Amino acid sequence: MTRPATNRPTTRREFLKLAATGTAVALSRPLPASAAEKTITILHESSFIKPFDEYVVNTLAPTYEKEAGIKVNYEVTSVGSLQTRISTIAETGSGADITMNGLLGVFQFGDKYLDVSDIAEDIGKAQGGWYDAGREAVVVEGKWKSLPFSNIGQLMNWRTDWFAEVGVRKFPETWEELYEVGKKLKAKDHPYGFELGHGFGDNHGWLYPLLWSYGGSEVAADGKTVVIDSDESARAVDFCRKFFKDTMLDDVLGWTDVSNNKAWMAEQISCTNNAESILWFAKREFPDIGKVTDQAVNPAGPKGRFHLLNAISHSIFSFSPVREEARGFMRWLMEPKQLGGWYAIADSYYQPLLHGYDNAPMWSVEPRNLPYRDALASAHLPGWPAPASRQMAESVAKYVVVDMFAKACAGASTKVVIKDAETQLKNIYRAA
Amino acid sequence: MVTGHGRIEQAVRVWLPIGFFLVMALFPFYWMAITSIKPNAELYNRNVMPLIVHAPTLKHYVDLLTKSSFLLWTWNTMLVAVVATAISLILGTMLAYPLARMRFAGASLIAMTIAAIYLVPQPLLFIPLADVINRLDLGNTLTSVILTYPTMLVPFCAWLLLGYFKTVPKELEEAARIDGASRVQTMWKIFLPLCTPGFISAGIFAFTLSQNEFLYALIFLTKTSVRTVPVGVIAELIRGDVFYWGQLMAGALLGSIPVALIYSFFVEHYVAGLTAGSVKA
Amino acid sequence: MTIASERFPVLAHAAHRRASLSVVLDRQSVFSWLMMALPLAFLAALVGYPFFYGILLSLEDRPVAHAGTFVGLKNFVTDAHDPIFWRVAINTFVYTGVATLLKMVGGLGLALAMNQHFHMKNLVRALLLLPFIVPTVLSTVAWLWMLDPAFSVVNRLLVALGWPKPGPSWLGDPTLAMVSIIVINTWRGLPFYGITLLAGLQTVPSELYEAASIDGAGGWQRFRFITLPLLRPIILIVTLFSVIFTFADFQLVYVLTHGGPANATQLFATYAFDIAMGAGQLGLGASVALAMLPALALLIVALSIYLRRE
Repeated sequence: MTRPATNRPTTRREFLKLAATGTAVALSRPLPASAAEKTITILHESSFIKPFDEYVVNTLAPTYEKEAGIKVNYEVTSVGSLQTRISTIAETGSGADITMNGLLGVFQFGDKYLDVSDIAEDIGKAQGGWYDAGREAVVVEGKWKSLPFSNIGQLMNWRTDWFAEVGVRKFPETWEELYEVGKKLKAKDHPYGFELGHGFGDNHGWLYPLLWSYGGSEVAADGKTVVIDSDESARAVDFCRKFFKDTMLDDVLGWTDVSNNKAWMAEQISCTNNAESILWFAKREFPDIGKVTDQAVNPAGPKGRFHLLNAISHSIFSFSPVREEARGFMRWLMEPKQLGGWYAIADSYYQPLLHGYDNAPMWSVEPRNLPYRDALASAHLPGWPAPASRQMAESVAKYVVVDMFAKACAGASTKVVIKDAETQLKNIYRAA
Repeated sequence: MVTGHGRIEQAVRVWLPIGFFLVMALFPFYWMAITSIKPNAELYNRNVMPLIVHAPTLKHYVDLLTKSSFLLWTWNTMLVAVVATAISLILGTMLAYPLARMRFAGASLIAMTIAAIYLVPQPLLFIPLADVINRLDLGNTLTSVILTYPTMLVPFCAWLLLGYFKTVPKELEEAARIDGASRVQTMWKIFLPLCTPGFISAGIFAFTLSQNEFLYALIFLTKTSVRTVPVGVIAELIRGDVFYWGQLMAGALLGSIPVALIYSFFVEHYVAGLTAGSVKA
Repeated sequence: MTIASERFPVLAHAAHRRASLSVVLDRQSVFSWLMMALPLAFLAALVGYPFFYGILLSLEDRPVAHAGTFVGLKNFVTDAHDPIFWRVAINTFVYTGVATLLKMVGGLGLALAMNQHFHMKNLVRALLLLPFIVPTVLSTVAWLWMLDPAFSVVNRLLVALGWPKPGPSWLGDPTLAMVSIIVINTWRGLPFYGITLLAGLQTVPSELYEAASIDGAGGWQRFRFITLPLLRPIILIVTLFSVIFTFADFQLVYVLTHGGPANATQLFATYAFDIAMGAGQLGLGASVALAMLPALALLIVALSIYLRRE
């Protein structure tokens, strides 16, 4: 599929650069270091677990410099800014050599990433093989454009004490069972709180799995046919509506990602979908709440149990002047010694996508995080079973699936909300 | 002349509405202040009366100042605001003076163009502007915002100064012209010194807008070291989905104080600048 | 005369020569254009160029980090078929209209209340401006907390008065969410309106009021026939600014609801941002942003005509 490209000529950019250099240099960044020693710059999003970033700066980088004589510069950007930062680098062709990717980043910027299939194959062979989810997250048109690092999963968080009060000691297996328990808990003033607003993680984390577990999906595996209008989707929507009405706080319709964390610490809710942040924060700031907080895999629907894939991976920019050195570094970084150490320092916040770590000691540090490992086998990107694409990214950015459920919960009829979603998706996939 | 009756009546007439507006305006600040000194346990407690603090703590302020780059962001914000304001005042004057004082072909066209530029708000420009900033390799530098803030400030400064300039009596300039001064000298030595209230007015407003700006800062400044307070606080006092509420509120208060102080000194001039054209001496 | 020649020696010399550079520079048109050259160049480069570039972008299919392909009006057609786009348009108009009206009326009330004599006027004036001064994103975070039904003082009051627990969901109910952003916007902008109108009020000569009183005009009549007409220009100018700011508002919604619940508070600016920065579709995002222009232009033209009619 070739597109005629109207590329901006390099000459224009050079001209503009010259024109502005006078003013820019005075206030701009300092002059680059001498070319004697090579430097690899890695861009990473600031980690939720501070020691994780510190490990690179204090341990990994110095070790590599000693071994290979190449300096490693670890640059951190704040949470949420990674996309913007990569955009800038990709557009200007400079700024970093290796970058972390989140969610659909590999597909959006895949054209600017080096093919690392060879490194990936070797790593997979040496460390137990990749989870399918790893492949799903980074393979673009048959080529590995990134090296999967980990998943940052979303799980069900639940209050063991309140569930026990209504006679439930093990987290419910299915959505229907969860619903029944929720009704009882709401009656006891311990409602559920699942995000249905315009956040980023805690809404997708359960809504896509909900849709899939009833057999629904946005687009078929061919990546073109919009199939949201189906009985399966309708059943998922109907479930969601009663789930909201009978078990949850009204406010969840407007919740963003922080809201359920806040509600948990304020002891307002008994169950929600979240990443590891609730447990982590509770253990530190509210130990009493932390003691009664547990995590579980998503409930199953009639068509199975699913989780959201939010994979972190590392790519090498194809325009990097030190790309060969970068390849060498990535090989080194993904060796068991380095990789294992890096995973371990973050207490299973990052779930490895290599089977070799399925029984690693890191999992025994906080047994409540084990469900994260179990979730990997059923984790998928939003938009699954269609392959990742720009249309998928557009659907996520426009909250098509989230709003479909949210509007139904707010009172709209199932038929209408599904039709709306279909119209939107048809519009988005028109270009496909 | 004011009887006992009249005094009470006057107090009610003044303080009832003013009191109402004050409460409306300041209640959120009270909330910010209270939240910033509540320990986390109280902060998240639904059952206590949220308007009182039981065990105040300065921990959030300490954490804000020591564990985050808040002071650096404040410095960046002030630097950017001052420079952007200065640039805008200068460029604004260079536009407003000819329009106020000179007659020349194309004057009305220019005036309309400036008004039209005001019509182009930031969200309209941010996508292509991001591209421009990238090409100039100015991403993540304070230059990017120092250059782009005046785009929203210059039209406003030009308009406000134009209005103010028109009210300055022409006699002094005419006298200087008769004495043989060039236009530049007239403008520089005679005219501009008379316009202090106008400059203060435009300057304060520009400064406020500048330190309030968020969209461009969000897009151009992704490194901690170059961020301004609005972006820094929102992007970094929120780790993933955990809001550090106490620190956020502390940051909000500390972020407003410098500007509020400036306002309290200059509000008289601010109003004077806007009042241009009123009672002549 | 001698004193003047000393003060302005350069031109005293020049006056003796015929067509010299300084004389040319002193011609009104030359002086004006030279003076305006720098600011005009600046605006052309950083507003004009991006503006036209933005138009070009909107006519392209331009995914981030890829070259653009010209597609004509395709993006606008996509927008026209996008139900969210129309929701966004309605939201933005409602938001702007209601908030501006509230600010105008409230601001006038504030100005009238402040236009009396009392102590500590300066302090009060500075305090009242605080909502306008504090960076929007920061005060909005405070509002986020205040609007949480679990913590909201208003909800507590309502529940105490009999409302079913936990009280209204300010950010979860679509209508209330819109009300919330309008309230916060009004809270933020009213002081600016008020203080500016106050400045205008203070320019109304008291003689006019006195004359009217002597003629038998009551308070309301004095307001309607003297105050309002004289305030009209300043009301319109402030309204112009307010409308532009509010229509293009981004920060408030970005922090508070990010467009939720289900796009009930999604505005042009936030929607364009999501599309451009979230989905990486720069061309489509630019088309949404540009959609603001006709609406804004219409509003401004209407207001200007009204103003010109003075």
